Amino acid sequence: MRFAKIFVALAATTLMIAGCASQKEPAEKAMAQVESSVAEFRADAEKYAADELQKVDQSITKLKNALANKDYNMVVKAVPSLNSTIASLKQSVAAKKADADAMMAAATAEWTDLSAKVPQMVEAIQSRVDTLGKSRKLPPNVDKATWETVKTDFETMKTEWTDATTQFASGQADAAVRKAREVKAKGDAILDKLGMTPNA
Amino acid sequence: MSTENPYAQYHVVKQGDTLSKIAEEYYGDKMLYPKIFEANKDVLQDPNKIKPGQKLRIP
Repeated sequence: MRFAKIFVALAATTLMIAGCASQKEPAEKAMAQVESSVAEFRADAEKYAADELQKVDQSITKLKNALANKDYNMVVKAVPSLNSTIASLKQSVAAKKADADAMMAAATAEWTDLSAKVPQMVEAIQSRVDTLGKSRKLPPNVDKATWETVKTDFETMKTEWTDATTQFASGQADAAVRKAREVKAKGDAILDKLGMTPNA
Repeated sequence: MSTENPYAQYHVVKQGDTLSKIAEEYYGDKMLYPKIFEANKDVLQDPNKIKPGQKLRIP
């Protein structure tokens, strides 16, 4: 009887160890797959869904610890759910990236237009400001106060345009476009104050 | 290669216009007429000879 009990206990332990060991390869394989699928979009995820990525990384770390502790069953059981989280994160990152790319394309197109117009505007205003600066009298449509405002606004306009081009060059297309719109509006107001009807 | 500046201003010469008169209208100073002449040398040979209908750029 005593021998039988020992035998059963030994057999159960052996079976358990064998069962666990048989899960080793699938567990390792599953973890390798998990890490490889996250690596595929990690760079984008860091940019567009950093918090969600952090949660996935925490889950991966937990499962890697389980793997190190030879808890292969736990790994094999947990991987499917983690895979589904990863798949939905991947989808969400792709959608956010598509939105960001579309916004960037729109900003770049608007920038292309503004960066052609604003320098032409600056050139036209500069020429008139230089000439009026040499005039002994202001033209009838421009009074002294307006002239002083124009000169100040024009200097601001040029500085802000430089800021916008710097922003665009450093990759801040959205901010650059917002600034450029303001600059163009300022230029339009100056042209109006000087009575310079645009040719376009 | 020069492209036309869409923000440049133009004046279409009317009967009785002179460059001095146009300079006074746009700059407030008729003595600045050479500015207009210089900007329109492609169409003007003589600052005293402008014709009605001519389109002059006002720099």
